[in-house]
Amino acid sequence: MTTKATTSRPDAADRGGDVRLTGIGKTYGSFTAVHPLDLTVEQGSFFALLGASGCGKTTTLRMIAGLEEPSSGTVHLGDQDVTALPPYKRPVNTVFQSYALFPHLDVHENVAFGLRRRGIKSVKKQVAEMLDLVQLGEQARKKPHQLSGGQQQRVAVARALINHPKVLLLDEPLGALDLKLRRRMQLELKRIQTEVGITFVHVTHDQEEAMTMADRVAVMNAGRVEQLGTPADLYENPRTTFVANFLGTSNLIEAEVDTRGGDDLVVRAAGGKLALPGARCSAPAKAGGKVLVGIRPEKISLTHADDAGSVPEGRNRVTGRIRSSSFIGVSTQYVVDCPACPEFEVYAQNIDRDPRLAPGADVVLHWDPAHTFGLDADQSVLAGTTGEAGIAEGGAA
Amino acid sequence: MPTLTEAPPPPSPPAPEKKPPLRRGRWTPYWLLLPGVLWLIVFFAAPMIYQASTSVQTGSLEEGYKVTWHFATYWDALSEYWPQFLRSVAYAASATVLCLLLGYPLAYLIAFRAGRWRNLIMILVIAPFFTSFLIRTLAWKTILADGGPVVDVLNTLHVLDATGWLGWTSGDRVLATPLAVVCGLTYNFLPFMILPLYTSLERIDGRLHEAAGDLYAKPSTVFRKVTFPLSMPGVVSGTLLTFIPATGDYVNASLLGSADTGMIGNVIQSQFLRVLDYPTAAALSFILMAAILAMVTLYIRRSGTEDLV
Repeated sequence: MTTKATTSRPDAADRGGDVRLTGIGKTYGSFTAVHPLDLTVEQGSFFALLGASGCGKTTTLRMIAGLEEPSSGTVHLGDQDVTALPPYKRPVNTVFQSYALFPHLDVHENVAFGLRRRGIKSVKKQVAEMLDLVQLGEQARKKPHQLSGGQQQRVAVARALINHPKVLLLDEPLGALDLKLRRRMQLELKRIQTEVGITFVHVTHDQEEAMTMADRVAVMNAGRVEQLGTPADLYENPRTTFVANFLGTSNLIEAEVDTRGGDDLVVRAAGGKLALPGARCSAPAKAGGKVLVGIRPEKISLTHADDAGSVPEGRNRVTGRIRSSSFIGVSTQYVVDCPACPEFEVYAQNIDRDPRLAPGADVVLHWDPAHTFGLDADQSVLAGTTGEAGIAEGGAA
Repeated sequence: MPTLTEAPPPPSPPAPEKKPPLRRGRWTPYWLLLPGVLWLIVFFAAPMIYQASTSVQTGSLEEGYKVTWHFATYWDALSEYWPQFLRSVAYAASATVLCLLLGYPLAYLIAFRAGRWRNLIMILVIAPFFTSFLIRTLAWKTILADGGPVVDVLNTLHVLDATGWLGWTSGDRVLATPLAVVCGLTYNFLPFMILPLYTSLERIDGRLHEAAGDLYAKPSTVFRKVTFPLSMPGVVSGTLLTFIPATGDYVNASLLGSADTGMIGNVIQSQFLRVLDYPTAAALSFILMAAILAMVTLYIRRSGTEDLV
C-alpha cells in the first residue's frame, strides 16, 4: 500500500486535495463553540489544531468529519463541497479519542470494517499489510479489550488509514497513553504520515506534541484561531499573549514605547531601556504607547551582579535577585525577582555553572535584542498560562 | 513527573502486617452468605426435594402416598400431555418473538432518541406492574370480547379470515383462541423484554456509531453490524426472561383461551388443585423444568453470548 500512497503525494502545484474550511462556525444555542473561521490544510501535510479543552478544536475536527453539522460556512475537500455529505459519504476517516474500536469484532475485522462497507471482498492481504505497518501482525485475532492502550491506538490508526482517506483526522489520539508511550507513538504517527503521505489533521492540547509532529499548527482559543504557522514560527514570533504562554513559557514585561529608531524599537520598563526589532512587534507602536515585551527563558543569559561589567554592550539587560533555582540535568531553571517582571524565568544550559548563582544572589539578566518580541498590551498577560487565572483569562480573551 | 516504565507499575507488595488476621475475619464472607443460603434451602432446595420425592410416589389420597420409585409416572405424564407441552413451547416462542419485534424498536427509541422523554417512556413501560397481573389479563378479555371494537375492526379488514385459515382464530372470535393467549402472553411479558434490551442498548458507546459511520457504514449497516450485535446480551436475557415464564404460564391460557388452548401450566395446576394427582403434577413440573433448562442451554450456546463484552 505504501507505493500507492507515496505516489499519490502531490506536486507543489497540485492542490487538489487541500482541506478548505470557509467561514465555518458552530453554535449551540447561545454558546458559540467555533467562531466562523477560514482554514486551509495543504494536501500531504501534518496539521495540528492546538488548544486547551473547550477551545473548539474538536468541534472543528468533527465538522470536517461530518459528525457535527456546521452552523455556518462550508467544508471543501479538494474541489468537492462536502458540507452536506453525511460522514459515511466523506473520504475522510477519524481516529477517535477513546479509539472507539468495535468490541465485538477482533482486530482483523475492526481494520477490515471500512473496506467491507465499501464492498471490497478480499481484504485479507490489505489488512495484513496494514497491521504490519502498525506492527500488530501478531494480534490480528485478538479482541480490542485484550490489547494494551498503545496497541488499541495503533488498531484505531490502522482501521482509519486502510481506507486511504484524503484526510486522516486524529482527535487527541494519544491522550490516554502514558508519557513514554505517547512520545513513542508521536514518532510512530509521524513516521506513518511520512510513509503514506496522507493529510493528517491532529487535534491536541499538548503543545509539545503539536510542535514535534506537525508541519503547521493552528493555535485555537475560545473558538477562534489565535495564530497559525510552523511550530518554530509560532514559538519565535507569537502574536498574542495566549500563544506566547501556551506554547512554552514567555517572560512578559509591561513597557512603554520610548523611541523608534530605524528598525529597532526602544521601550522603557521599570527604569531601564530595552530594544527589540520593530518587525517583531505585533502591536501598533507609537511613542508613549504601551506594549508587552516578551522573551523566552532559554534566550537569556545570567550573570552575577559582581561581573555586570563583563556583559557586552548592546544587549538588553534587566537586574534582579534569584528567588529559586532548580537543577534539572541539561539545564538549570531560575526564577528571578525583577522590578520589571515579578517572576522572570531563565533556563541556563549547564555548561559552566557559576556557584554564586544561588537563591538570594543579585544578578543581571541579558539577552540579544533580536530575540525580543513585542505584543499588544491590551490583552491579559496571563492568557494561556496553565494556572487557573490563565485559563479564565484565556477563555475571556 | 513522567513514569519511566511503560508497563503499569507492578502491584505494590502488601504492607507487612503487624498482627495476624483475626480469625473472625476469615468467616465473615460465609456469615454474610448465610441469609441467602438459608433462603435458597428453605424456598428452593427443600421444595425441589419434596417435589422430586412426590413425583416418584404411588398411592391415593385416602391411603396416603409412599415413595415407590415409580418412574413410570414421568412416561405416563409425558405421553398423555405432550400436546400441551408442545403448545406451551409454541405459544411462548410466538410471544417471545412478538415481544422482541415490539420491544426492540421501543427500547432503541428510549435508549437513543427519547431525549428528555426517556424517563416518561420508561415509567409507561413499567406502569402496568402497578396493577395486578390478573386484572390486566382480565382487561384483555374485554378488549378482545366478541363483537367488541377490536374484533369488529379485524373482521372488517378480513384479518380474521387469514388468522382463521392459519388456525390462530376460529370464526368471528378472537377470545378463546390461540391468538388471544399469545396476545396476552406478549402483553404481560413485554416489559421483561424491553428492560434488558434498553439496558444493553443504552450501554453502547455512542462513539461506536460515529466510528461506524465514519468508516462508510450507512445508518442501516451501522445497526446491522454494530448496534444489533452489541445488543445481543440484551436480546438473549430479554428472550429468556420472556420465554421461561411464558412457557410455564397458565393465567393467560385459562382466562383468554379455551379447553383447546391449554398449556402445560394449566395441566399442572389442575393436577395439583383439582384432580389432586400429586405425583403426576410433580412429574410434569420436573419435565417442564428439564425441557426449559435444555432449551435455554442450547440457546445460550448457539447465541454465543459468553463471547460478548
